[in-house]
Amino acid sequence: MDFDAYDLDSAFYDEMFLPDGTPRAHCRSLHESLLRLPVEELVRMQERVTHSFSSEGITFTVYGGEEADERIMPVDCLPRILPGADWRQLESGLAQRLKALNRFLADVYGSARIVEDGVVPVDLVRGCPQYRVEMRGVPVPHGTYVAVCGTDLVRTNEGFHVLEDNLRVPSGVSYMVANRKAVKANLRRLYRSCRVREVEHYGRMLRETLRELAPRAENDPCVVLLTPGVYNAAFYEHIYLAHEIGATLVEGRDLLVDGGYVYMRTTSGLQRVDVIYRRVDDDFLDPLVFRPDSLLGLPGLMGVYRAGNVTLVNAPGTGVADDKSVYAYVPDMIRYYLAEEPLLRNVKTYICRRPEDLEFTLDNLRDLVVKRVGGSGGYGMLVGPESTPDEREACASELRENPADFISQPVLDLSRAPCLIRSRAAARHVDLRPFVLHGRQTRIVPGAFCRVALREGSLVVNSSQGGGGKDVWVLED
Amino acid sequence: MLSRSAQGLYWMGRYLERAAHLSRLMQLQVETLVDRPLREIHFGWNRVYSSMNQLPPAGTLEAFGSDDYTLADSYTLADHLTFEPTNPDSIWNCFAYARENARQVRNYISAEMWLSLNMTFLRLQGLTIQEIWKTAPESFYAGTAKDIATFTGVAEATMYRDEGWHFIQLGRYIERVQLSASILLAQIAAQDRQDESFDADWANLLHVFRAFDAYVHSYSVVVQPGQVLDLIVTDELLPGSMRRSLDAVSSVLDAIGSGPSPGAGRDAAALSASLCAVVLDGSNDVTSWRATLDQVNGDSRKLHQQIMDVYIAYPLESLAIR
Repeated sequence: MDFDAYDLDSAFYDEMFLPDGTPRAHCRSLHESLLRLPVEELVRMQERVTHSFSSEGITFTVYGGEEADERIMPVDCLPRILPGADWRQLESGLAQRLKALNRFLADVYGSARIVEDGVVPVDLVRGCPQYRVEMRGVPVPHGTYVAVCGTDLVRTNEGFHVLEDNLRVPSGVSYMVANRKAVKANLRRLYRSCRVREVEHYGRMLRETLRELAPRAENDPCVVLLTPGVYNAAFYEHIYLAHEIGATLVEGRDLLVDGGYVYMRTTSGLQRVDVIYRRVDDDFLDPLVFRPDSLLGLPGLMGVYRAGNVTLVNAPGTGVADDKSVYAYVPDMIRYYLAEEPLLRNVKTYICRRPEDLEFTLDNLRDLVVKRVGGSGGYGMLVGPESTPDEREACASELRENPADFISQPVLDLSRAPCLIRSRAAARHVDLRPFVLHGRQTRIVPGAFCRVALREGSLVVNSSQGGGGKDVWVLED
Repeated sequence: MLSRSAQGLYWMGRYLERAAHLSRLMQLQVETLVDRPLREIHFGWNRVYSSMNQLPPAGTLEAFGSDDYTLADSYTLADHLTFEPTNPDSIWNCFAYARENARQVRNYISAEMWLSLNMTFLRLQGLTIQEIWKTAPESFYAGTAKDIATFTGVAEATMYRDEGWHFIQLGRYIERVQLSASILLAQIAAQDRQDESFDADWANLLHVFRAFDAYVHSYSVVVQPGQVLDLIVTDELLPGSMRRSLDAVSSVLDAIGSGPSPGAGRDAAALSASLCAVVLDGSNDVTSWRATLDQVNGDSRKLHQQIMDVYIAYPLESLAIR
């Protein structure tokens, strides 16, 4: 495969090439191998990878029309490489950030010092729909509210930025592992020669993390993974993770509360449950406390949780810390709780509940990305430069009506990486979602789910919106 | 194991058995279309629908004997039984349900089993009756039956013999007993309606159960209904005989144990044992065969319900933990 027609553009950081078109030092062997490989071979490899995903049922579900559609996550077989030094910098930044976020959660559900000291505005916390009064004063094991975090990072010419902290039910880790397995099997020699760090032990690390959080001192706590069910977009991931951590995959209807404990219904009777790794949103966890119409959760669960007889991972109410408005204050939290300077940058964020930020946003809609504070999955967001006047008008009227529901950010020049598109190498925008675990201690696998906006020029990397995945190779030093 | 997962495995076993049975019937029926007399073709469709406890799209089985309509419309009937999305027992739907159940219990079956089932599902996905009818439809049905046999072999070779395994077997054998009872009753009923008995129909029935060679070996080349029934129901060595299926149900229930409330568990085991005794006795004439099969039919449905009540949807009040 050659890179003669590769569209290098200095406006964007390229993950493989320097601005002068020579490969970056850590990408040289990948570049050389790709030059040697006939493009037909790469196309065949791409087909093999896609075929293996299909036959193994590595799918996600998309909702659009009347029916749910089970789709394969498109995976681009050219890996994205991160040198060891880059990774170390990210690793410490991510750990620092999660530490501060857990302290923030303990604080806002406890004495609310940060609010009293005026670092974070009180209305932002209390007015956040994800703030759960039910969590006030509830002790959580080791102060770990967020045990599993999937941080979205993007790289520009200025370096890495945190785009979003996903602290509720972050997904994508199964694709990190699946992409690795598929790409490794197809680029065997190159993989071996590059000395890539492993990611396949994520499941073991997650299992250790969950065990550390069990409410009773038992050698073998009963851990279950609570899924909304087979129609959930991430159901494959739930199956995969349940298998990896040796947990039973349950739905709300398999559980019941009795005498202050949670049990699951098994063929030999009821079995007590200690830890619930829940992949169900707060709203649906317990119809007696949150949404009364929820059929996905378990009535009485919050009562057992508050009594300390079961652990929920992540804890309910963590959404207050990954709210898109609260996000703007994370650097301040790091300074406040840890007395350290943030190691990872935030993206400049305009909080539309502030009149001056709203005005700025309305005046600059063409150049900004507008996001709903509680939204996710790329749904309901406006990308200014790609929008039509009608879309901007609709967005503006929504902004005027409910300014507190929105934030805006400058359009980021997301870095690009070469992808195999229609039998040639083409630059596509990418992001990076590493996963950070925290039980008693912090654990991070050296890898990430890299999302790719497969449509030319697109900045939306979400799989539900035409995005795909890429394997990330973190190199040993 | 989680009750809902046990249920999923049980239904996966049942749906695959149903798909295998229907594929086998369709393979034989499609072969009949080539050169057999119209009467035999009518009889065949009649038997397929009766054994599935279903009515054809026209709503009645009576039309089958009346004219050439049936032959011309075999295409529609085959489509209805193979791909029709609104027919819950079409081969495609049986596969889709089996695969949907398997997807939810993927962690209880071996990776090879999932792969085998998913590949068959993907092969069938998007196929239409037009496509399979163009060339040799019997090879499609034979291929489907073979895929299920491969799945069964893969399961045999790779799955840990734990509770999950037992629930798959339970579903498989209970489904087989019910389908066998239905098809034998349909055969007897069809014979009653006709003045003369046709050897070809009974020989064909032997082929459904892959019992023709065994029959010739045990009896003779002359096919006699009483002996056919005796072989299919009571034979100890025939892999698909009712007796073997019921024995398997009993041993599986024994292996699973009596569940959270032992009384109910013992009742299910007792019903299963009594079913074994019923078929072991066999019968002498067609009338008493009908009574035997009616009893097996009814009791096996009762047994299904008991299994659900014992292991899956048991009442919580009776449990020791409370």
